[in-house]
Order: sequence, then C-alpha cells, then structure tokens
Amino acid sequence: MSMFGGLEISASGLTAQRLRMDVTAENLANAQTTKGADGQPYRRKEVVLREISQGGGFGAQLANALGTGAKSRPGGVEVAEIASDQTAGKMVYDPSHPDANAQGYVQMPNVDTVTEMVDLIDSSRAYEANVTAMQASKQMFTKTLDLLK
Amino acid sequence: MLFDTTQLALERAISGASTRQEALAANIANADTPGYRRVDVDFHGALAAAMGSSDRTSALERTGFTPAVDKSVGATRADGSTVDMDSEQAKMAANALEQQAAVQVATARISILKMAIGGSGA
Repeated sequence: MSMFGGLEISASGLTAQRLRMDVTAENLANAQTTKGADGQPYRRKEVVLREISQGGGFGAQLANALGTGAKSRPGGVEVAEIASDQTAGKMVYDPSHPDANAQGYVQMPNVDTVTEMVDLIDSSRAYEANVTAMQASKQMFTKTLDLLK
Repeated sequence: MLFDTTQLALERAISGASTRQEALAANIANADTPGYRRVDVDFHGALAAAMGSSDRTSALERTGFTPAVDKSVGATRADGSTVDMDSEQAKMAANALEQQAAVQVATARISILKMAIGGSGA
C-alpha cells in the first residue's frame, strides 16, 4: 500500500479528464473536415473510461463480477479506448465544394458542436472535482503529519 | 500504559478515514466510467464493533478497513454508474473534517502526555 494512494487515484482522474478535453478539442477542430487520410469525412471520437482493477487475482475478479466484493483497494481510472462515433453526418448542399457528390451534396463530419461543448464542460467540471479531491487528500496527509509536531 | 485504548481508537479512526478518502477519490475519478459501482469504507461500523467487544484493545488492533462496493444505491446515471458527484463531494468534505477532528484530539492527548513527562506540552 502506497502512502499517497488517494493522490494517485485523483491523478489518474486528471489524466483521463484531460484526455477527454483533448479529444473534444480535436472533434471541434475537425468539425468541417470533409476529407481525412482515408478520403472519408472526419468521424468524431469519444473516450471510453474504465476502472483500474487492483485485485488482479481470481478471487478478486470473481468477487468483482458477482458484485459481492470486498475489493482489495480502490483503483483509479484509465482510458479503455478512444472509439469513433459511426453515426452518419449531415449532408449539406454545396455544389461548388470539391467533395460534393453528383447531386451537389457534401457529406459533413458527424460532429455536433453543441454536444462537444457539453462534453467539454462535463470533463472540465470532472477535472475540477478531481483537483478538489486531491486537495482534500493532501490536506489530510498534512494534518496527520501535524501529529509529529 | 503510555498509549491507551482511546489513543489506539483515534489512530484507527485516522487510518479508517484515510482509507475512506481513497475510496471516495476513486469514486470521483470514475465518475465517467460506464457501469462503475461506487465503493465506500464503513470504518465507523468496524470501529463501533471493535469498541463494543469485550477486549477492546486487541479488537481495535485487529480492525482492518477494506473498501466494499456500495449496494445501497441504484444507478444514478444513464450509463449505469452509481456515482452521484454532489454526494461524493459532500461525503469527502465530511470525511476530511472527521479525520481532522481525530487528529486534533490525538494531538491534544499527546501534548498532555508530553506535559506529564516534563516536556513543554504544546
């Protein structure tokens, strides 16, 4: 058991939320990208998070699966994958666009700026919550150290 | 005896609050994890059980704190997570205050001991 477990857990939360903000920024930046490296319009990306399971042994895994679980220790959070959203984007009529089809429609990326802004606020607030948790952990360590005075 | 049952109980309470802090930090870190079930540490219950037993000192020494999945709450989010951010923050604030209270009482008791030994006290 490490001494600064709480700080490490909150740090993993900060890393995960920062990555979410980065991915949201990438989605917003590519909101008008009609042709990527594969010749297709940009597809919005989404970060999928998962819990870091500390109990690697069979017993801990089984207890977790059954939900009966005395977990050995709480873990932090990690990025499971950066999934791409497969929903179709809007078709926009713009015959002069180089990527327009025969009917004059352009396949736009499936990025909705409102969704992205909401995601951005969500990850920003979650980041702040992790900072607050980290400050609380730090304060508790400091107070415990006061016992030595 | 230099350190009595009360001092031991205070030490265990500080340890329990620290373990609980880790569990609450993990809940906040996993607020956006789909299907995550919140964990908590019932250190009050463990300590109360130890204090109620016939041999308090050895019961307290044997008391360990393990985070367990909280099954009393249902999913509060569409992704199946049982983390309610506001309640986690409130629990964390209360837990930090409890820990500080235990530390302050322990500090006061140690300074009384110091005074008795012949030190300056505070």
